[in-house]
Amino acid sequence: MEGQHKHPIWAKLVGYAAFCVVILILPLFITDDYLLNKLARYLVFGLVAMALSISWGYAGILNLGQAVSFGLGSYCMAMALKLRTIPIQTGAEGLPDFMVWNNVKSLPWFWEPFHSYGFAIAAGVLVPTILALLIGTFVFRARVTGVYVSIITLALLVVINLVVIDRQRLTGGFNGLTDLAPLELFGLTFDPYAHATYYLIAVSLGAALFLGLAVVHSKTGLIMQAIRDDENRVRYFGYDVAAYQTFALCLSAAVAGFAGMLYTLVMAFASPTFLAVPVSLSIVIWSAVGGRASLLGSAMGAIIVTGVQGSLSDTPAFLETWTLIMGALFIIVVLFLPRGLISLVDRIPLGGSARRRAAAATGAASRSGINAG
Amino acid sequence: MTDIFNQVFSGLSIASILLLISLGLAIIYGTVGVINLAHGEFVMLGAYAVWFLEDHFGLGLFPCIVLAFFAVGTLGWVVERLIIRRLYGRVLDTILATWGLGVILQQAIRLSAGAELRYVQMPPGLSAAVHFAGVDVSAYRLFVLALTAILLAVTYVLIFRTRFGMRLRGVVQNPEIARCFGVNTSQIYAMTFAYGAGLAGIAGALVSPLKSVSPDMGTGYVVDAFMVVVVGGVQSLLGTVASAGIIGELSGGLAYLSNDTIAKAIVFLGVVVLIRFRPQGLFALRVRRG
Repeated sequence: MEGQHKHPIWAKLVGYAAFCVVILILPLFITDDYLLNKLARYLVFGLVAMALSISWGYAGILNLGQAVSFGLGSYCMAMALKLRTIPIQTGAEGLPDFMVWNNVKSLPWFWEPFHSYGFAIAAGVLVPTILALLIGTFVFRARVTGVYVSIITLALLVVINLVVIDRQRLTGGFNGLTDLAPLELFGLTFDPYAHATYYLIAVSLGAALFLGLAVVHSKTGLIMQAIRDDENRVRYFGYDVAAYQTFALCLSAAVAGFAGMLYTLVMAFASPTFLAVPVSLSIVIWSAVGGRASLLGSAMGAIIVTGVQGSLSDTPAFLETWTLIMGALFIIVVLFLPRGLISLVDRIPLGGSARRRAAAATGAASRSGINAG
Repeated sequence: MTDIFNQVFSGLSIASILLLISLGLAIIYGTVGVINLAHGEFVMLGAYAVWFLEDHFGLGLFPCIVLAFFAVGTLGWVVERLIIRRLYGRVLDTILATWGLGVILQQAIRLSAGAELRYVQMPPGLSAAVHFAGVDVSAYRLFVLALTAILLAVTYVLIFRTRFGMRLRGVVQNPEIARCFGVNTSQIYAMTFAYGAGLAGIAGALVSPLKSVSPDMGTGYVVDAFMVVVVGGVQSLLGTVASAGIIGELSGGLAYLSNDTIAKAIVFLGVVVLIRFRPQGLFALRVRRG
């Protein structure tokens, strides 16, 4: 029921394409680099909310640890950039500054490969994916479902967050990784206020949306939705439910990890707050407000919520009240619009439904005709 | 020897606070089937109630505990009527709605009472240390331990020895049959939710002299309390007690061997592994599915 597509696929494609065009031409109207940086941040949030939608909206896995993937991706990128900061801020032989302060003598082994951009970018996607693979196999093979999956992912998030903060010598601890060099790739410099960074993020979001759409409309995607609606029935049909659930979790983690890397680029630092409980819950909120069972809806939910929040942040008193309103709004959405704001769009009549209505009318007419005859 | 005793007592002290906080949560989750993420905020409200009453009316801690129970309990009743009752059968959605509620409560306190840390006086009679079995233990912590035991006994009597408790157990076993016998299930749910919230209020009141009171103090508690409830097994009062004891002693012991952070990480990892192999918890006899 929840996954029913009222609109034909072409209407969906048009909607997705229109969204991509809007985010791509937006910089033409914005001269303020600061504003562009803010927008880029909102788009990153859109990307990570869309990632959650894959596992939550389509496969029914409420992953409360989405921030783990996001944060790990962010750290992978930050580690590579940290190793490239200008020598003044680093210690002897390119040792990061916080390690020097913490009396670390040589670069830890797992930092070593991050001298290569290629490795760092691959790691930003693969580390969260592999972790999701392990968690997914561990959890879903035992047929643990529903609330318990949420609690397990939440607990793991807390564990990883605690360890990252505690191992200050290796991770920068509470301060995270700061003083990063800008990413330089293909002759472009991706510093937080550059147009290149914005376009990189906008293109990534667009590509991820279409890729996600392709996946959820594939056979695999349909089975994922079937599992969400009735897990046992799918199992009786002979499908390997755990494999599909693990796949959804991994795909979601990969996209979230990628979003995390982009987030490091816009923020120019990585912090343990990126992989903390509040971020994870915010992602859930964005997706729920926008529409958990819609990739575009989730992305737009994130952009709208963080956008309003961001535009109010200049007036602190207003922001405080906004948080209050936000909480109330969220409860109202959960109570009365369980499919999110995007479900309002579904109510707009389109050609397809008009035709269906016409067909129904003819059907009724022919029936009455039979009765008359 | 004294070292070990000290260690056991500090673990017991952690456990008693854990139990206080998770007792309300366990009752709500076990009977109403709602994952109440605003539980930490109920605890926070209890602590603020004490601070407010002490600061403005000069009340001591003991009357405050009673008032905190009724104040937060009433709020819980209102919340159940307005929000929770619309979400029965949608467990994952209750997580979301109660989290939104938590945001509202936290922000409302921040706006009205301020974001700064508040401190609550320890009752003068209990601020000293007591010499007990060769070691000095804090009198207040002993008091918390005793009060936790009393609350546990009261809850036990309420559930297993009263008419209300009988109806409650009936509703848990089979709401439809209970309704057929004339039990007002909706009222039972509301009262249970209110009682659980009230217990959170007492927990908040009791921890307020031990820790600083701040709008976001509840966030940490709710995760801890959840682990206790899940390990103990839903719908098992005894399980919750045992699991609070195990987790408390384990946290205390591991913290002694390494540090607080690593202790917490190890305990949580243990909980994850446990849920994987026994999602019904350690002490649940029977699981209801669906």
